[in-house]
Amino acid sequence: MREKILKIIFWLAVLYVIVPIMMPIIYSFSEAWTGLIPKGFTLDWYKIIFSNPNYQPSLILSLFVASSATLLNIVLTVPAAYAVNRLRGKLAIFLEDTFKILPLIFPPLIVGLGLLQAFTSPPLAISGTTTAVIIAHALLGLPFMFRNVYASLKTIDERTLSEAASSLGANLWQRMRYVIIPNIIPGILSGSLLVFAISFGEFEVTSMVAGFGSQTLPLILFQEMRNNFRIASAITAILVYVSLTAFMIIVYIGSKVQKGYKV
Amino acid sequence: MKRIHLILFLSPMVVFLLMFIIYPYIYIIIHAFMDDFTGRFTLRYVKNLFEKWAFTNAWRNSLMFSSLSTGIAAIFGSIIGWISTKFDDRKRGIISSLFSIPMTLSGLVVAFAFIVLLGRNGIFNIIFRDFLKLFHFDLYSWTGLAITYAFFNIPLFSLTMIAAFRNLNTSLVEAARNLGANIFQVWRYVIIPVLAPSFLAATSIVFAGMMGAFGTALALTGMAKNLLSIQIYSHVSESNYNIPQADALALLLGVTTATILLVLNTLERRLRIKE
Repeated sequence: MREKILKIIFWLAVLYVIVPIMMPIIYSFSEAWTGLIPKGFTLDWYKIIFSNPNYQPSLILSLFVASSATLLNIVLTVPAAYAVNRLRGKLAIFLEDTFKILPLIFPPLIVGLGLLQAFTSPPLAISGTTTAVIIAHALLGLPFMFRNVYASLKTIDERTLSEAASSLGANLWQRMRYVIIPNIIPGILSGSLLVFAISFGEFEVTSMVAGFGSQTLPLILFQEMRNNFRIASAITAILVYVSLTAFMIIVYIGSKVQKGYKV
Repeated sequence: MKRIHLILFLSPMVVFLLMFIIYPYIYIIIHAFMDDFTGRFTLRYVKNLFEKWAFTNAWRNSLMFSSLSTGIAAIFGSIIGWISTKFDDRKRGIISSLFSIPMTLSGLVVAFAFIVLLGRNGIFNIIFRDFLKLFHFDLYSWTGLAITYAFFNIPLFSLTMIAAFRNLNTSLVEAARNLGANIFQVWRYVIIPVLAPSFLAATSIVFAGMMGAFGTALALTGMAKNLLSIQIYSHVSESNYNIPQADALALLLGVTTATILLVLNTLERRLRIKE
């Protein structure tokens, strides 16, 4: 009896997440959905997004923005996480907390509002440009990236590894290139996938800082939710695919890493 | 590691945060007190916050809606955390993985999903209103918004609580019982101190997130629901374009959130076991 109740609760929890995210996917393949059950099967809505000049540039732009925000995050976070892992004492704790929490305390809304007005004049006139969108997305992804990279550094016991490598004559660059980076790649990858997925679907900051020349896919989606629900369904489904793919690779990496440690 | 290397490694990140979070925020604070045309000091925008009904109402709505959403997340998140201790490792792993999906989902995706499920002509209403003629569910109400936002918040809260309940050592509870502690004492001195930091951390994150959230609400109800976040957004992008007023509203939002976080933080220190 107790087992049965537990089983029911487990499946309810699974369905709670699965059912809503299946909705846009089912919707996007149907010709019409007016009653209880969707009718017909079509790929038309996807075709429009991948080829129509109203939508296709946004898709490309979103891919570009998400990739750039991810790269920027790697460049900023990996060295910083390495340094924090090396530091000791109060400064280390302060920096760790700051990098993990600071971007979370400032909601996207305030980050957007700030970026929008603080950078309107040279030398940094980025307000309304794609650069502003990339920077905003990088900020939102930062804590997730830092957590993943920092956790990897902690689990591989970077200090011992580095000491061993330097006793064999490896300099800082060689230690990074051949010892540390290869060992924390799972963390960097998981962090990158999270940042990419968050950036690809981000609407709030984007709607505030983006100009006419930087209409990403979620901004188009927002318009189409009022204009054309069919197109909106396909865009929503694409956003879901990106999140799901990222999430499945992260789970895969996680299981690989765990197996690696057991051996 | 040499000091120079440390500084070299840390500085890009520190400069980036100073430039794109701290500096813009200081800019917001200054401009909340600055006249847009003359550049002189003014209290007009801040005064508006307390005098205009639309703003005081938005502030109250934001506080109540964020508290309600956090409460819902806290109740269900704690229940799921507790039940997860009864699951085997595989089931707990599946739940933890699945519950991290909503975190990466766009607010618009969730809005879309809930329109299809609970919207005017959504599946739920077709069954309960059209077929069974029982009742009509209005997604575009506060209840509707709360249910939609719960899709983000319950999994987020659950993830923290699942980890917290795992850390709760059952032998500690048994030891306390064996030493003669009653169930109230076990909760007060053993269970709550262990769970409290995670519970309050999750509460802080969900509450702060909800105070600033507007994407899903905007997609579902447009500007119809008067929230502080929606007010800020509308002063930036819509017809009532007024950036200094948006700055003052952002300041109010920041101060409110910071106060609540501070209270939660103090509470956590009180509940934690003195070391």
